[in-house]
Amino acid sequence: MSLDIDVKFNEDNNSWVVYLKGELDIYTSPELKETLIDALDKKDGNIIINGKNLDYVDSTGLGVLISILKRVREKDNNVYLQNIKPNIRKLFDITKLDKVFIFKE
Amino acid sequence: MKKDIINLKIPSKPDYISVVRLTSSAIASNLGLNIEEIEDIKVSIAEACINAINKSSEINIQFEIEKDKLTIKVNNVHPLEEDKSNLNKELELGILIIKSLMDEVNFSEEGVEMIKYIEDGNK
Repeated sequence: MSLDIDVKFNEDNNSWVVYLKGELDIYTSPELKETLIDALDKKDGNIIINGKNLDYVDSTGLGVLISILKRVREKDNNVYLQNIKPNIRKLFDITKLDKVFIFKE
Repeated sequence: MKKDIINLKIPSKPDYISVVRLTSSAIASNLGLNIEEIEDIKVSIAEACINAINKSSEINIQFEIEKDKLTIKVNNVHPLEEDKSNLNKELELGILIIKSLMDEVNFSEEGVEMIKYIEDGNK
């Protein structure tokens, strides 16, 4: 049970592309928050979360994404969620966060 | 059939919530619930544990297995906490998730009781 985080900056769309593998839960979400804040401190930009290999998210994971969204919006950037699995998308729908984040196929 | 009861007690630490998720999956799978129902139970019980964490040194989880339903009780889970800004927002999300995914959710002094009904004939 763990989360692998891989972060790369893409100059073409001014975005940090974040590949997540595993489980974003109460145990692993502080690490993601720290990694993304470090990245944004280095360089402001959009955040693109690639959830192709992300199996699970809980409310603390949602909380991290919300706080990162607030942070990037200060610089008129956004958080994009890509390839999110249906079981995780369901949680965004339930909590109405599907209206707050931008989903991409 | 009489009630079968499984008790699980974990230290109140984030490290062990994945253990609860795995145990819940195994119990729900044993009951013949489908993948989506198993996922609902797994997510709900984790949210209940997140709510209970930091409130005492241990989290008590009880699974009651009956022919037509699975009842899960978690101590120290409450819908509203004193205001702690961001943390409070997350707890609200957790409660909303539990209420949406389980068939019946009851709060009491002790904690939360979550029920998933088992439909017959799909085993």
